[in-house]
Amino acid sequence: MQASKPPSPLRLFLFFARISAVTLGGGYVLVPVIARGLERKGWMEEKDFFSLFGAAQSLPGPIGLNAALFAGRALAGLPGLFASALGVLVPPFAAILLVSEAIGVVAAQKQARAFLDGAFAVVPGLVAALLWRMIRTRAWNPGRVVLALAAAAAMILAPGWAPAFFFAAAALGWFVETPGTKA
Amino acid sequence: MIELVLSFLKLGAVSYGGGWTIVGLIRTEVLRQGWLDEGAFRDLVAIAQVTPGPVALNAATLVGHKVGGLAGSALATLSVVTVPILASLALGALISRLGPRGNRFREALRSGTFGLLAMTVWAFAPEAARDPFAAGLALGAFGLAAFTKANPVLLILGAGALKLLASFVLA
Repeated sequence: MQASKPPSPLRLFLFFARISAVTLGGGYVLVPVIARGLERKGWMEEKDFFSLFGAAQSLPGPIGLNAALFAGRALAGLPGLFASALGVLVPPFAAILLVSEAIGVVAAQKQARAFLDGAFAVVPGLVAALLWRMIRTRAWNPGRVVLALAAAAAMILAPGWAPAFFFAAAALGWFVETPGTKA
Repeated sequence: MIELVLSFLKLGAVSYGGGWTIVGLIRTEVLRQGWLDEGAFRDLVAIAQVTPGPVALNAATLVGHKVGGLAGSALATLSVVTVPILASLALGALISRLGPRGNRFREALRSGTFGLLAMTVWAFAPEAARDPFAAGLALGAFGLAAFTKANPVLLILGAGALKLLASFVLA
């Protein structure tokens, strides 16, 4: 494939805004769409995108946003990073503002109520599925098992302290992992 | 408003592994601060799912809007992305060059992510399982999402449609 010219920040903004505006379901849906879109534009090959994405996942943040931050920087430096971030953020923000005005009215309607209840009911199932996939793909060893179980138990018992437990688990994790650890 | 900013800065800082990891934590924070009750938060999550964009960002925008209108929604959204953006500015280039030490770093963070996800499931399960029909939807969604390549959006919209249909049939 012939490499086309690197995109301008404005084009990156429009690219990410368009994807963000029409993609329901968050990061796990956004990421493959971004990967295909970048390749179709000739800006980045899918495998290059996914190697950046691997790094993006080790930083905090919604993964759709992180994917855009890393791709934007790789393609157009810091202006690209900020343009891509805005592209992801602006359309949902605008959509939410419109919805917020109507939320009370809509939620009071019987049919809308039923639809929202159904859409909510799948949340624990989807999160549990995410957890299940992460459990299945991790290379477990005794240290990791103990640490993950301890973190889960602590957070469930004292949810208000969850951020502190998270960083405590990460600090302990650094010692549980050996320097030559494999992902 | 200060609490709003501080809460969402903190939430953004622990969102390793994507937005879903912090939805349970957003709930804890929102209930603790008394911004919303459980029922209103349930609606908020449902709406965050069926509007475009990452769920955690949408939830932040909606909570911000409840607390402080337009200014609140802008502040909450910017707060939740501040740490992720700073982190990718500061560490983005570094992290891809870390090699084996990068693995150690990633793996160290991962255990806490399991905890956050488990906490999210724990927090939402009783609410979703209020009635047998909703519990069935949750279990069905788990089965399809865990063992097939089903598109999560279709599961969310499908569950909403089924519940809507049931409300007509049972009415």
